[in-house]
Amino acid sequence: MTERNGSDPHESAIDPSVWRGMTQSRMSRRQLLASAGTGAGMLGMSAVLAACGVKGATSSGGSKPAGGVGTAAWWAKQKSTKTVNFANWPYYIDVVKGKHLSLERFTATTGITVNYTEPIGNNMPFYAKIRTSLSAKQSTGYDIIVMTNNSPAIGYLIQFGWLTPLDQSAMANFNKNAGPLVKNPSWDHGNKYTMAWQSGWTAIGYNSAIIKNPGTSVDILFDKKYAGKVGMMNDPQELGSVGLLAIGVDPATSTESDWAKAAKKLQQQRSDGIVRAYYDQSYIDHLKNGDTVVTQAWSGDIFQADLNSKYRDLALLIPDEGGMFWTDNMCIPMYAQNPRDAMTLMDFYYQPDVEAVVEYYDDYICPVPTAKQALLSPTGWAAKALKELAPEIGLPTSKTADAPTVFPTPAYVKNSRPYYLYKSQEELTAWNNLFLPITQGA
Amino acid sequence: MEQPVLADHAGRLTGRRPRARLSKVLAPYLLSLPAGLWLLALFLIPLVTMLSLSLQTCNLGTGACVMTWHWAEFGQQLSLYHGQFLNSFYYAGAAALIDLVISYPIAYWIAFYGGSKKNFFLLMLLVPFFVSFVIRTVIWNFILSDNGFILGSLKHAHLLPQGFHVLSTGYAVVAGLAYNYLPFTALPLYVAIERIDKTVLDAAYDLYATRREAFTRVILPLTVPGLFAAFLLTFIPALGDYVNQQVLGGTSNTMIGTVIQNAFQTLDYAAGSTLSAMLLGIALIGIFAYARLLGSRTIEEYL
Repeated sequence: MTERNGSDPHESAIDPSVWRGMTQSRMSRRQLLASAGTGAGMLGMSAVLAACGVKGATSSGGSKPAGGVGTAAWWAKQKSTKTVNFANWPYYIDVVKGKHLSLERFTATTGITVNYTEPIGNNMPFYAKIRTSLSAKQSTGYDIIVMTNNSPAIGYLIQFGWLTPLDQSAMANFNKNAGPLVKNPSWDHGNKYTMAWQSGWTAIGYNSAIIKNPGTSVDILFDKKYAGKVGMMNDPQELGSVGLLAIGVDPATSTESDWAKAAKKLQQQRSDGIVRAYYDQSYIDHLKNGDTVVTQAWSGDIFQADLNSKYRDLALLIPDEGGMFWTDNMCIPMYAQNPRDAMTLMDFYYQPDVEAVVEYYDDYICPVPTAKQALLSPTGWAAKALKELAPEIGLPTSKTADAPTVFPTPAYVKNSRPYYLYKSQEELTAWNNLFLPITQGA
Repeated sequence: MEQPVLADHAGRLTGRRPRARLSKVLAPYLLSLPAGLWLLALFLIPLVTMLSLSLQTCNLGTGACVMTWHWAEFGQQLSLYHGQFLNSFYYAGAAALIDLVISYPIAYWIAFYGGSKKNFFLLMLLVPFFVSFVIRTVIWNFILSDNGFILGSLKHAHLLPQGFHVLSTGYAVVAGLAYNYLPFTALPLYVAIERIDKTVLDAAYDLYATRREAFTRVILPLTVPGLFAAFLLTFIPALGDYVNQQVLGGTSNTMIGTVIQNAFQTLDYAAGSTLSAMLLGIALIGIFAYARLLGSRTIEEYL
């Protein structure tokens, strides 16, 4: 989820020279020999240096999963092992006194034990960890992982054939209950590899005590009136996307020349002294402390800040140009040991009852719109679970049910914009080379 | 290693034991084995890997790296990020100097007047640093925030203009570095001052030195190697710091540590290794310069 990407500000920082080097042959063989052979001592050293490399996958991408993995015939052979290993982000599932009620419900109804862990702090470093196993064709130890669609990691996983195509016949709840925002998303047509866990917007947070009339445009982030008090995000995907919105371009259909224009606009914003700093997830503290009065913000943060009476002035603005919509996706890595039970668990969470319990804790965008009814008038197990959670949350369930940032109104849905999908590494590089220098200024 | 030369009481060299026992020969090697393995596994191998990676070309997606002897990477990185290197130098240097000025009186006082409670005072000096580095830095964000209890009250009393802020400036970064690396300065300085033979002061007074002269002409020169060691031990870790700037800095004071961290986080190992190798080179130049200037023994004494 984007929010916790914060500690990983420049998720895709690459500088231009590296990319040029990677996309063009940098040295002829003779140059190479010449540079390697400049001295005898040098050669000795060369051998040592050359010997220690980093092993990685050799596939250049686009490979299909081997052995028919993910086909209907393959899925028909996958039996339940009564256990599933679920890797998620921290604080992202209902918890009361150390118990995850929804997971306990899952075990009670299916007999499948869940090893729930929270090892994902941000996308790329987690991806780097699992790719060593994947490129060696070994199990990562996880049957379900959760990856954000605005990070290059999920693209890599799909591109290298490192995700197991889902069993489309085992998605009954998903097909019935998934909302339009997460069904058939642009980053995974037909939900071939992923099912959403939670979603959110990257929009604008502002202090309504100071800014009485914020307007409805993203231009507020570029307003000289708030010079030195505007917070921007240091994630190049987030920064670039808002830059594109500001020049009136839909990020998803933007071109490289649009990116350059957006970068120029953002560079200008910086040199005009409008930007206070480029923040990671700490942006919310700076908004709370009054260091900034308007900032790029994640919808869930503003909702949660509002729960505290001290910060009731903080408000979320989804501008007319659009709010960037991101989703954290559950997926099954290749070579998973328990794919059948992973499928069962993923589909289990698409029941309104179960999702109501998760959402009462999470407050992000719920992938199951009908969970709203379950929150307003819960029955059976959900009623009991919500009651058990209530003291922990300290809010009536109706507050969650009525929040447009949890159950978006049609206007919010209409204003949701998907991120640009990089078609190649070169594109990702070009993007980062434009937007990273803005945040890494000396 | 050298064979011990054995002589009997009469001073004649004995011919009776031409070879020491095997275990005796091996003993020094066996004794140094743990340290050797430690150095090999945790220093030499990572170091060589880093140097190697800095010359390789990596695929960001798969993580596969191929040795391409890409020396040009160094020039390219330097041309892109020299500004960030310079920032690191200025900030780390300023922080180390500030720390020297702050720590000297503290170390001096503990060494000369600490009496039997020296260890207690040293512990007091270190206690704040038992709390995590990042947490302490983040807390400064709250203390120094624009409307926080320091700046907020000063602004309220009209002692500061409304737009005044400390956070997001180079000053905040230097202050953060100076705060976080203080023990690296204070402890070597304390060792340097503590080992001064206190009777030299009496000697100075006997020779009609005033207190000031005794300090400037006796104590201070004796602590110069300690001052250098303390400076270096603060400057070098501060040079590679990547936390303070991210937490306390603004739009135009990125330090090289942040750039390196970002390179590794985006899985661009080649760029990260190249920048790290350059930083290491710079740190080594500093240490060699120190060794030439003051002899290599002095730095070991304070480590």
